[in-house]
Amino acid sequence: MNTNNNCKQIRNWLYKAIENCFSLNADWVQNHIANCPKCQRRFVTIGKVNLALSAIKSQPHNLDLLMRANTQAICVLKHSLRQTPKAQKLKTILPQPKKLERWGKYTHSVANVAACIAILLLMKIGVFSSVDKLQAEGQKVIEQYYAAHVDNDLVDELFQKDAGQSSSTNHRGVMAI
Amino acid sequence: MFGKAVSYELIWDFTISGTVDESQRWILSAMQRYGQELVTMLWRMLGNEQDVCDAYQNTFLQLAHCEGRQKPEHIKAYIFRTAGNVAVSMLRRKVAERKRLSKAAVTRKSVSSPANELDSKYLQENLRCCIAELPEHLRNVITLRDLAELPYNQIGRILGISSATARVYRCKAVQLLAAWMSKKNKKDNENYEYK
Repeated sequence: MNTNNNCKQIRNWLYKAIENCFSLNADWVQNHIANCPKCQRRFVTIGKVNLALSAIKSQPHNLDLLMRANTQAICVLKHSLRQTPKAQKLKTILPQPKKLERWGKYTHSVANVAACIAILLLMKIGVFSSVDKLQAEGQKVIEQYYAAHVDNDLVDELFQKDAGQSSSTNHRGVMAI
Repeated sequence: MFGKAVSYELIWDFTISGTVDESQRWILSAMQRYGQELVTMLWRMLGNEQDVCDAYQNTFLQLAHCEGRQKPEHIKAYIFRTAGNVAVSMLRRKVAERKRLSKAAVTRKSVSSPANELDSKYLQENLRCCIAELPEHLRNVITLRDLAELPYNQIGRILGISSATARVYRCKAVQLLAAWMSKKNKKDNENYEYK
């Protein structure tokens, strides 16, 4: 079962990889089409099919079409079925937007909430305190480096002087030397 | 005694009608669940609201009478395939009728001109005619993928093929449609020049 799942996953990855390499939008395909009249013709004809498909998809129908279709279909069903409340409900049903479309307007709010939760989690885990630690470690390394290459007294003077200040000021001070 | 018999009969009738009602209620559930997708697919295939209602009615009528009024194992597959077949036969009938009419009275209006080549309505009609001519396995995939907008894994399940095969069939269908549409275009343009 697990092997089957792996196999399926690998096949899906392969399809995606192949699609990325060989899709009509790939650079090398576009370069070839630009220089090959036969492929240009093929590209145009396939483009026309896609254009026609998009035109068909974008054609709207009346909002009550589903209601009318349901009413007509229910008319030929058994009397007992026609009288059920569900049938009555179907006769007045209107098309509903898909779930994704319905929830689409909340995307921004959800993203903001998710970002806040992520920040809270990072604080809870201690990532921010780790950043401070990392900064202190970095300062130590820089101090050691200067101690090795410059006079010790000068380094003491420099880092003692900057100890009370923020790390950014330290960094700027070191760079100034 | 007679009154008792009548009342028993009534109870029996009521039970039978109740069970029939219950046993076929799944038709309404199917209508509620797949109705919207089905209407969209039929509208895109036929492009005429009355035809959509007829095809929809025909589909559910066939569903109600399939296999001795038993519920099919895969309702979605049954509904979509039946609806597709019904719509294609309607399309074919329409195309044949149009041909017959155009033969009877050839007018300059009915012939396509080069300017029409990118006309949206002309393109749509041309595509519908070509879809109706496709072999069944390719037609099923293109209608389910491009007109019903179902994902490949669902198409695979409906048609009993793998999703990879469905992708290949779609690719072949698009190539065939492209070739046929450009051929038809050329033919129409020649007719126009001839006129």
